[in-house]
Amino acid sequence: MLMKKLPPVQSVLFLVSRRASQLSRQRYDVIVVGGGHAGTEAAAAAARIGAETLLVTQKIQTIGALSCNPSLGGVGKGHLVREVDALDGLCGRAGDWAGINFSVLNRSKGPAVWGPRAQLDRQRYREFIQIQLFYLQAELLSTPRLTLLEGSVEELLVSDPNPAEPGRHRVTGIRLANSSQLISASSVVLTTGTFLSGSLFVGRTASPGGRMGDAPFMNTHTRCKPEEQLPCYLTYTTPGVERVVRESLHLNCHIQQDAKGPRYCPSIESRVLRFPGRSHQVWLEPEGLTSDLLYPQGLSMTMPPDVQLRLIREIPPLHRVEIHTPGYGVQYDYVCPTQLSPALQVKNTQGLFLAGQINGTTGYEEAAAQDHQQGPLLDGSQTTTPNEESYIGVLVDDLVSRGVTEPYRMFTSRAEFRTSLRPDNADLRLTMKGFELGCVSAVRHHEAVRVNCSLQNAIAALQALTMSSTSWRKKLLGISMSENKNQTLSGMDLLQYKDVSFEMLASVFPECLSPYMEFSQRLKIEAVYKPHYDQNKSEIKRIQREENMSLPQDVDYFTLPVSLSQEVREILDRFRPTTLGAATRLEGMTPAAIANLFKYVNLIRRQESTMSGKQMDHEEEGGEEPCKRNASLPQ
Amino acid sequence: NISLYRRLSSGGRVLAGLADADTIFALSSGHGRCGVAVVRISGSAAATALRCMVGLGNQLPPPRTALLRSITDPHSKEVLDRGLVLWFPAPHSFTGEDSVEFHIHGGPAVITAVLQALGSVPGMRPADAGEFTRRAFHAGKLDLTEVEGLGDLIHAETEAQRRQALRQMSGELGRLYQDWSHRLKRTLAHVEAFIDFSEDELIEEGVLDQVDISVCDLQAEIKQHLKDERRGERLRSGIHVVIAGATNAGKSQRPAAIVSPIAGTTRDVVESALDIGGFPVLLSDTAGLRDSPDLVEQEGVRRARERVQQADLTLLVVDSTILPSGEQEAAALLLEHLRSVLSSQDQPGAGRCLLVLNKVDLLPEAHREKLNLGLRRVSGLPPVCLISCQTNEGLKDFLTVLQSNIKTMCGDPLSGAPTLTQARHRAHLQQCVAALAQYRRYRDSDLALAAEGVRLALTSLGRITGRVGAEEILDIIFKDFCIGK
Repeated sequence: MLMKKLPPVQSVLFLVSRRASQLSRQRYDVIVVGGGHAGTEAAAAAARIGAETLLVTQKIQTIGALSCNPSLGGVGKGHLVREVDALDGLCGRAGDWAGINFSVLNRSKGPAVWGPRAQLDRQRYREFIQIQLFYLQAELLSTPRLTLLEGSVEELLVSDPNPAEPGRHRVTGIRLANSSQLISASSVVLTTGTFLSGSLFVGRTASPGGRMGDAPFMNTHTRCKPEEQLPCYLTYTTPGVERVVRESLHLNCHIQQDAKGPRYCPSIESRVLRFPGRSHQVWLEPEGLTSDLLYPQGLSMTMPPDVQLRLIREIPPLHRVEIHTPGYGVQYDYVCPTQLSPALQVKNTQGLFLAGQINGTTGYEEAAAQDHQQGPLLDGSQTTTPNEESYIGVLVDDLVSRGVTEPYRMFTSRAEFRTSLRPDNADLRLTMKGFELGCVSAVRHHEAVRVNCSLQNAIAALQALTMSSTSWRKKLLGISMSENKNQTLSGMDLLQYKDVSFEMLASVFPECLSPYMEFSQRLKIEAVYKPHYDQNKSEIKRIQREENMSLPQDVDYFTLPVSLSQEVREILDRFRPTTLGAATRLEGMTPAAIANLFKYVNLIRRQESTMSGKQMDHEEEGGEEPCKRNASLPQ
Repeated sequence: NISLYRRLSSGGRVLAGLADADTIFALSSGHGRCGVAVVRISGSAAATALRCMVGLGNQLPPPRTALLRSITDPHSKEVLDRGLVLWFPAPHSFTGEDSVEFHIHGGPAVITAVLQALGSVPGMRPADAGEFTRRAFHAGKLDLTEVEGLGDLIHAETEAQRRQALRQMSGELGRLYQDWSHRLKRTLAHVEAFIDFSEDELIEEGVLDQVDISVCDLQAEIKQHLKDERRGERLRSGIHVVIAGATNAGKSQRPAAIVSPIAGTTRDVVESALDIGGFPVLLSDTAGLRDSPDLVEQEGVRRARERVQQADLTLLVVDSTILPSGEQEAAALLLEHLRSVLSSQDQPGAGRCLLVLNKVDLLPEAHREKLNLGLRRVSGLPPVCLISCQTNEGLKDFLTVLQSNIKTMCGDPLSGAPTLTQARHRAHLQQCVAALAQYRRYRDSDLALAAEGVRLALTSLGRITGRVGAEEILDIIFKDFCIGK
């Protein structure tokens, strides 16, 4: 069925992918190395901006593969997907296309921390990503901007250091394996992260914890109709599971090794050992509409396959289960991201960018998000998404200014301005900026402008509806209001009440409010959060001021003539913060050190401005006749 | 959790700095005549100054040991004074830098000569206001509450103020706030954990119940701390005592003000700072309260009323000769008078007002006794003192009553919980309480907004201990210092 509806995508991709010898050109604006979540997003973003892009991957067939669990989003991660989607990235739309079960986590905790999540059909997800890339590279575009190349990169070409700027290299291109051919590029993006693969198990229902038929994922349309959605099932571990873990400890290298694993996505071994005598959740997630495999979320493990089978059969509904692919752990190297600029460019090599798990992150969403920080940069512009405007900015700021000590995953608590960075307003925060940078299509931009206008108009209409609280009570029966009798309230004020919905107000004032019915939920959220947003604004401005004070990148902190303790010098040298704001967030920085750095930055600024002032004087002196008129001005 | 740490520690914002490369010196003891004067030097050139002004045979003295030496001019080699010399090598000094102290004779000529000689040493300059403390702060020797405590110490003009300043400097207040801050961090961590992890089943049940309890406790504790009726602040800035009353009741006679026997002489507020029983008092003498056609006097009356509104303690002076002889009638008249003077003050509470019946020397003895005993029995009347500014009769008793009132209002600085000494502390603590209320308001409807309340509370508290957003306060604090400390 599925394959009939769609063109045989993989074969099409093979047809249009190039062998190195067939490449139409030897020079690209951007070369992306790696075809995972980070690589595909990076290549697509670069192509959307208009860069001539080459994507090199070892196996074109696995582009868009979900190597771990078949789901996207969640608390914190859903925020990232929304933002990538607002910047017209791939993963949100792919989620809409491939989703077979949509839910919103944290539904009871307030819209700022809602976590949109989609259970995915693996095959559909891969199809979607491949079709998108196919579209970008197809000859039917007047100017194909993306070329796919199967192969592996043997060497990264880097220029000798610039004598004017010691230590400054420039990336010039790549050399492929088994080839002497050089492909040059002004930017190279490395997305060679190791896949953290999951394991697959089959099982039967224990207790149906269905999450069916919830709201659409990222946009208004999802491919899967509500009645077609597949449920996820919830079951629990038993004492038998714990027994198997304990009996097989000597066979388990995960437990014996001391590699740093993520504390928030623990294996069943560590869960059992940390919380003995408890039963733990296991979600049985469908792998796809046409698949009879289930993914047991919460049972990742690294013991030998026969022990894994023994363990999983200790769970009553899974007594007769067979294992399709056993679970395993992955240990991998990463590049310490403090060596990167906020654009994820390697500090001492211009044009070399890193994204994805290579930077120490974990998760599809974190990988996809990183490319929307650097996407604009590939074009040479220096704009980045600041951390007070998006989770993408928070993610990158955390990586480059603090580094990672364990696989980095996004949480909402990482966002300082969480109540402003909501999933519902990602389009208003990012889409228009993305359009200016060139990575958002006209269609998406047009829609964001329409939504923005409608919301502004609706808010204005609500604010214009003012009445005394007594009159409101008469209009909206059964509403409990704490305000004084004669206080004047606007529709916006009313909407802040827990029991008041936009629909209720629209039914009372249909003539002015009914045009905005499609935004009823967003308006409700805007009303509740508005006072807090106003509170945040001044704080955001202050932070922006500090973020604008940049620190020199090639300074030797050990000899800097500023009063700093040795510890602080070491911290600064290790993390090399790019702005004063980033420096204040470093662990171990003292207020005194910040004060002295502040003074130092101001001094540099003054020196720079007096130098530029002198230049101007000089120009005036050497200028033509008309300048002489200025000489009579009082000095 | 790294993220929480980042959130919690994204504190120490930009602070205003000063050039620390110079070596600074200043007279650290007070100005004016004194037996011994202390001159302090701090910075890298301190050792040079010590060597070239004190005959030490090219050797530095043992650290932190007082030596009696001649202090000479580095150029003319003239002996300026003979005094104690102390050497504090870095980092074990007040500023954390190399420091030297000269304890010299307190005559202005000697002090001037030594300061001039120091100024001639290369790399030395006189210190700016508060610079020693600023350096100490930057060297991590003091946290902000301690710095403020020190500022108060320098400003302490009275004994009780000095005691409270010492308490704050030793960090008692700082420890109290640190404890709250620590608990708030934990509380916030619990809320954040619940938001980010409860769907993963990785956190314990009932976490939010614990949060509810600790938010409640903190709110109550901080509120209790705020309920000290401005005792600490009063002690720091002085108690406002206002003398008020009808024209010509003899208000201005106590602090010798310039008056004439014509009614309505004091037309504006006259202020003076006094030390009463070790407590700082800011005494304001006001214009007589009466309806007057004189515009200038009307303004004086308006200001007088304003002063009474703001006063910590009002001394209501009444001409005892106008009182009726019957005690009931006298009490009724006084009560009415109280109401009109204290106008909008809801209750002429006992601690807020003292009734001073002046000119008792003009009363017959019997009448005086009757008033004295009778008025004490009337309920609703503030304490009554009978005095005569003419003959000083009753003045001693009056001062005792006044002193005990002031002491109650300031609290004993050596007992009980540390009181608030800065209006700034009060403002931030109030914000903190309000932010905790936000948690409770949104607890059930929107946990993100509730958590925001706890975040705000922590930020507010952090502004006191200097861990968060310190820049705006630092300038004010350091401006508050006199040269030398």
